[in-house]
Amino acid sequence: MVSEDLAISLSDVTFSYEGDVVALQGLNLAARRGEFVVVLGANGAGKSTLCYLLSGIVPHIYGGRRRGEVSVAGLDPWDVPLYETSRRLGVLMQDPEVQLFMPTLRTELAFGPANLGVPREEILRRSREALSLVRLDGLEEHNPRDLSGGQKQRAALAAVLTMDPRVLVLDEPTSQLDPLGRWEVVEAIQRLKEKGELTIVMTTHETEEVLHLADQVLVLEQGRTVLQGTPAQVFGQPERLEAAGVKTPALVHIRSRVCPVAGSPEGVADVTVRQVADDIRTSVQAGRLRIDAAAVPPPRPPDAARPTILEARRLSVRYPGPPPVTALRDVSLEIRQGEFVGIIGQNGSGKSTLVKCFAGLLRPQEGEVLFRGESLSRLSVGGIARRIGLVLQNPDYQLFTASCSEEIRFGLRNVGVPRDEVEPRVREALRLVGLEAQAELFPFRLSFGDRRKLAVAATMALGPEVLIMDEPTTAQDHRGRYQLAELARRFHEERGATVLVITHDVDLIARYAQRLIVLCEGRVLLDGATAEVFMQVEELKKSFVVPPVAAQVARALAPLGVPPHVITPEQLYRVLGLVQGGAA
Amino acid sequence: MQPVFRYTHVDTPIHRLHPLVKLAYVLLTLVVVMYPIQASDMIVLLTWLAFSAVLWAVARIELARFATLFKILAGTFVFLLLIQGFTYRGGHTPLITLGHLKLWEADLGVITVEGVWFGLVLCVRILVATSSLPLFVMTTPASAIMTALGKLRVPQTATFMFISALSFTSLIFEMWGSIVEAQKLRAFDIDSMNLVKRAVKAYVPIITPLILLLFRRANDFQIAMETKGFGAPVKPTEIEVVSARLADYLWLALVLAVFAFCTWLEFAR
Repeated sequence: MVSEDLAISLSDVTFSYEGDVVALQGLNLAARRGEFVVVLGANGAGKSTLCYLLSGIVPHIYGGRRRGEVSVAGLDPWDVPLYETSRRLGVLMQDPEVQLFMPTLRTELAFGPANLGVPREEILRRSREALSLVRLDGLEEHNPRDLSGGQKQRAALAAVLTMDPRVLVLDEPTSQLDPLGRWEVVEAIQRLKEKGELTIVMTTHETEEVLHLADQVLVLEQGRTVLQGTPAQVFGQPERLEAAGVKTPALVHIRSRVCPVAGSPEGVADVTVRQVADDIRTSVQAGRLRIDAAAVPPPRPPDAARPTILEARRLSVRYPGPPPVTALRDVSLEIRQGEFVGIIGQNGSGKSTLVKCFAGLLRPQEGEVLFRGESLSRLSVGGIARRIGLVLQNPDYQLFTASCSEEIRFGLRNVGVPRDEVEPRVREALRLVGLEAQAELFPFRLSFGDRRKLAVAATMALGPEVLIMDEPTTAQDHRGRYQLAELARRFHEERGATVLVITHDVDLIARYAQRLIVLCEGRVLLDGATAEVFMQVEELKKSFVVPPVAAQVARALAPLGVPPHVITPEQLYRVLGLVQGGAA
Repeated sequence: MQPVFRYTHVDTPIHRLHPLVKLAYVLLTLVVVMYPIQASDMIVLLTWLAFSAVLWAVARIELARFATLFKILAGTFVFLLLIQGFTYRGGHTPLITLGHLKLWEADLGVITVEGVWFGLVLCVRILVATSSLPLFVMTTPASAIMTALGKLRVPQTATFMFISALSFTSLIFEMWGSIVEAQKLRAFDIDSMNLVKRAVKAYVPIITPLILLLFRRANDFQIAMETKGFGAPVKPTEIEVVSARLADYLWLALVLAVFAFCTWLEFAR
């Protein structure tokens, strides 16, 4: 029997998709009105299935078998048609593009309630309220497709809110957004929580952004609950979180590492940079910790003796539109052989356009790209593919063969690799990404993370001297991000290749990149050693980039002698004498 | 890349026009282009095309969009001009003589003036036929289209399929471009292949991922729609209040007048 004041109640729920793939096992969840539940877990842990189960997408769109009791806003979504559930529950998905299909924001917001026959005046009232809440007032007549990523997702959220739901399910709503877009969406969600009327269930990989919102945290691993409780209870177990493939928020990680010496583990959920810095300062003053600034030497300047492998000379790229957009404005830079370069910046700053120019996919209207001093325009498509490999964001744009090994053979044949070399290269590429066992599997049966690895393997097999990864962290879980970054690192170290990685993940790029380029509005805003770039906090603000958490803590501890070029937690621990080791 | 024939919100008399008047214009255009084909049709077609051009201009639609339509059709136009130039049965005045190859009544070695003219008539006919629907779509919001079709008692599902097809068309173009780029990165360059090679083998690496992606996208689309109550057994609320004004009747009269004039030109000569 379900208690009446519970907005969501799941009791011993097990769900299997058709084909007996068990997605959820023995799940229990109870959430009251106004409660905010955060669901964490690696890709494939069952987070999206839980969203589908709550919203009635299973069994009405995806079939399967369920055991146990489910009640959402007083309904069992299994027993009523989807449109009935939609009167009480709204669902927001990862990709805003697929949720916006009307030509104006006004009609987009009206679509749902109009389907349910809600009176016109009521629809208009709800639309005004929803637009105000997501701060999109005044854009009613704009086409949703013209909005920025963050605006699109807020528009999609507003379109859900006009359904006047009691329960809101948010399935990784920020995973495809840049930092500004994520902040905008999280801010809108926070306002919803503050109103206290909605019960919200949100899945995410971005633990930092939900730490202060969550009332209850659920961590899934292979469909089972491995941790459940308040944020303090869950985030106080970083080892268990890591084992489940969930990122411990960097600040919580640092605090838990420093806590045994510096203070109590209570209040991890609302910990701030200042508190952690204060704890460390207290410990240093009490002699429990000591600062060894020399433990992390300053970053080395780029090796000018290395030959230039890629050069952008006064590149300008304009897209005709409508509306016309200038993506790159007079960009000049040199990439030296063997560098590991990070490229960051907001969506629309020109990152993808720049690397598309590097890979010969785009011809700039002005300027040119040189590979080892030779204009890229003189090289054939095959010639470029052998020298410069670009792994695009979405692997599904390239996969089409019946097996993973065939997918890799395709590129090798196109560039004319001799027959006797093809098979060893296929095996080597699959080994590099850890997909040997799946060599004969249909690529679309792989998980999204593995499909990305296959796309990387197909590129690496061509043996390029330059490997470029375009946002490998987007829609990827914590573990998957680092696996891809590790692949890039190994390719860089073992083959001496030059690597360029575009990402929004500053913690990841701080760990891997020697050099960092920040693009802003089609121009190079900053370019230098990664640590030095992250030290320029005021300049970074122009591009809405916030330095890594460890760098923020180090900056707060600068008066104690912590060097400002500390940018990773490991470097911080080394300076505090918590680990032994050489230079980063 | 933005889709070329997409609704753009601009305040013009054509945008404000009642959708049923615009729909009447589209349907009458189809009637005009379905008149029996004759070489002497050019004046009728040019009259209707000129009327369409006026509507495009009043709707403040950039010439670039018309140029895009022309570019899409350019290949068809060249084909029609050549095929009619060489094979038109009524052709007897040589324009270009490449040789002589008699096949029934036609001489396939000669491009005739009458053939090229007839080809031109067909090209203009296609241009007339294809220029009306983009005007309707670019100046009428989807909700107004749905309301208008609802008033014509077209089922909501059919109307929504029409609207969805419009948005899927632009999606297909975007995906096509991304897939071509992705395959180019593996040295598979469809743009550099000749037509025969494209037809024989090139489309598999492009069309296979396109179909798989479209299936996935259609699935996401279905989720987004159905979780917003699409298909509920209630009469959907009409958001757009589309009521006829005096201006709508005047525009309708103008459309009918031009249509009547074209019909007179076609049959009264």
